[in-house]
Amino acid sequence: MKLTSIKLCNFRSFYGTTPEMIIAGGDAQNTTIIHGNNGSGKTSLLNAFTWVLYDKFSAAFASIEQLVNKRAIAETQKGQAVECWVEIGWEHEGKRYRVKRACRGYKNEGDFDAGKTQLTMWVGGDDGKWNIPIQQPDDIINQILPATLHQYFFFDGERIEEIVRSDKKAEIAEATKIFLGVEVINRSIRHLGDAKKTLENDLKAIGDSEIKQLLRQQEKIERERERITKRQTEIKEELEYQQTFKKETSNRLRELSAAKELQERWQDLESQKAANQEEYKKTKEALKKVISARGYTVLLSETTSQFRGIINDLKQRGELTSGISREFVNDLLNSQRCICGAELHEGNHSHTHVSTWLNKAGSSAVEETAIRMLAQVDEIDKQAIGFWEEVDREQTRINQLRQSISQIEGDLDNIQERLRKDANEEISSLQKRLDEIESKIDELNREQGANQQQIAQLTTEIEGLNKQIAKQKLNEDKQTLAQRRINATQDAIERLTEVRNRQEQQFRLQLEKRVQEIFTEISVTPYIPKISDKYELTLVENTTGVEAPVAASTGENQILSLSFIASIIDKVREWSEKRKMMMIPDSSTFPIVMDSPFGSLDENSRRHIAKTIPQLANQLIVLVTKTQWRGEVEAEITDRIGREYVLTYYSSKPDCEQDYIELSGERYPLVKQSPNEFEYTEIMEVERDR
Amino acid sequence: MSQEANIDDVQEPITSAPPEVRQIIERVWKLEKGRLDKKINSHVNDNILDIIKEEVR
Repeated sequence: MKLTSIKLCNFRSFYGTTPEMIIAGGDAQNTTIIHGNNGSGKTSLLNAFTWVLYDKFSAAFASIEQLVNKRAIAETQKGQAVECWVEIGWEHEGKRYRVKRACRGYKNEGDFDAGKTQLTMWVGGDDGKWNIPIQQPDDIINQILPATLHQYFFFDGERIEEIVRSDKKAEIAEATKIFLGVEVINRSIRHLGDAKKTLENDLKAIGDSEIKQLLRQQEKIERERERITKRQTEIKEELEYQQTFKKETSNRLRELSAAKELQERWQDLESQKAANQEEYKKTKEALKKVISARGYTVLLSETTSQFRGIINDLKQRGELTSGISREFVNDLLNSQRCICGAELHEGNHSHTHVSTWLNKAGSSAVEETAIRMLAQVDEIDKQAIGFWEEVDREQTRINQLRQSISQIEGDLDNIQERLRKDANEEISSLQKRLDEIESKIDELNREQGANQQQIAQLTTEIEGLNKQIAKQKLNEDKQTLAQRRINATQDAIERLTEVRNRQEQQFRLQLEKRVQEIFTEISVTPYIPKISDKYELTLVENTTGVEAPVAASTGENQILSLSFIASIIDKVREWSEKRKMMMIPDSSTFPIVMDSPFGSLDENSRRHIAKTIPQLANQLIVLVTKTQWRGEVEAEITDRIGREYVLTYYSSKPDCEQDYIELSGERYPLVKQSPNEFEYTEIMEVERDR
Repeated sequence: MSQEANIDDVQEPITSAPPEVRQIIERVWKLEKGRLDKKINSHVNDNILDIIKEEVR
């Protein structure tokens, strides 16, 4: 942050809008001196910086309520508003910023109400345009120069020793840690640790994967299925071989003339057996078809008898008559002739008789439906009878076929028996061989069937396992991801911890060394400044060979504080020049705004500090009284002045003593008589010939 | 490590990190830096978790 300007309006002793004070920012002439007598507004000006940036005032700033200039309030009509504001400009990382904090006060009957402050920020673009940033101005300011650090850069020189006072130590240590980036690393490590815990809980929630076990199981089943499939191929080949062998053996047997007849008979029986078996299969199929198509009819007898019961009941109650419909009776009456030939005339016996049927007869439509349904129900009953007949027929046929197959098999057995016992050895041995082939084929067929069933079962099992594995796979992916995240977080924590350790070595010790150098140069005491591992600054003495804390004087503490601030700015500048460091502040430029410096210091120390501070700070703004300026400070700093201003105080005291300061051969008024009853301050720029 | 060791060494654990870890560190660091002035740490854990989950997919 390089300050460029400040402008005030009705802020404390500054009446109206002041001219814009340009702040020196050169390399050599980086110092701005503001001269002012006691009461002229030097402290107000220092507080203008902290107020506009952080809405804060220094501890020495007594009356915060009296923010708005008294003359401005007095000159305002009742009920009117008075505006009070401070606007500053700075540059940071190539961007220009302007910030204005305004407070509007209202003058009422007898009192004055100050409203809330309003902060506005503009950021200058490369095109020369000023834009209002989207981010909150407070946030932007805090990112550039955190509020916690402001006491390093804007301070009351006479109270500077407060920085090292024991009750402020922790606060300053905190600020130092923030400044050096240690706090950011500490928080990052702590919060990454929290995140890691959450990730570990997530991992637990996913649970252990059973995928390995499932994969092993799947592999085992697949191996088994493969083995059986291979065996099936073997069986198939073996069966083919056995069939061929059987055929050959049979042919050989038939070729033997003695056996020829028996063989032919055997062949004949075999084909009969095959035909019967075919027929048997067909009959079984037919039976299945009958049962599936019409089997239901036998289960309906109870329902049909219920239906008949309902119809009979309706008939008995006369709600459903059978045979004669009203339409039919009406036709007879209209045609005046009965179906028996009798004439039907109104009043005669036949007419009366037929007419009475009108009451007994039902509607033909209902009747018709009932009749139709009855016919269908009858049909169902008939079908049930037909079904049983057919089933009986098919079963009889099946029994017949079974018998005839068994008969044929018996005949075949006989033939084979005869062949087996044939005197001709060759015939009997061939038959025995055929028997063996048969039994082998039979055995293979059974094995083939069993295997087929097993393959089907294993395939179903594998499909089930595949589904389970897919589900577990998803879980496993989640687990792997969670684990990778945990590992990455742990790695980040470890690396940040290592950076913190190295930074500790580099920054804290280098900083301590620099403070020691600067302090030793300025102070005549043999004391040594130390920065503890908690970043607390202390002064120790080592005269007895043992380090002991020093009860330092105000002056010593002032020197220590200034040495500390100067060394921090100096080291950070050095580190950021070497390399753009992630862990330290974005910029290497920091301003020091110091009100009434070196109050309690002796001449020698003042000279040293006046010489050292402009060298170490990037930018220096010093607010001084005539006596603070004169002498060694003037001698050391004059060459460093880039800008210079005088605060002219207009006193309302009737016979006030006027005062002047001579700068570069010119007289500038420090105190003047006010032309009215108000006291106020004006800012005047000093022009030196360089 | 000596006190005069190169300043690059301070950042070495970060520059030598695998890309995803480096990204996590840099993003968490920026997040924490941006909220240095805030005392309350609500949502920071959710934000950090989001960073980790985005960087390690």
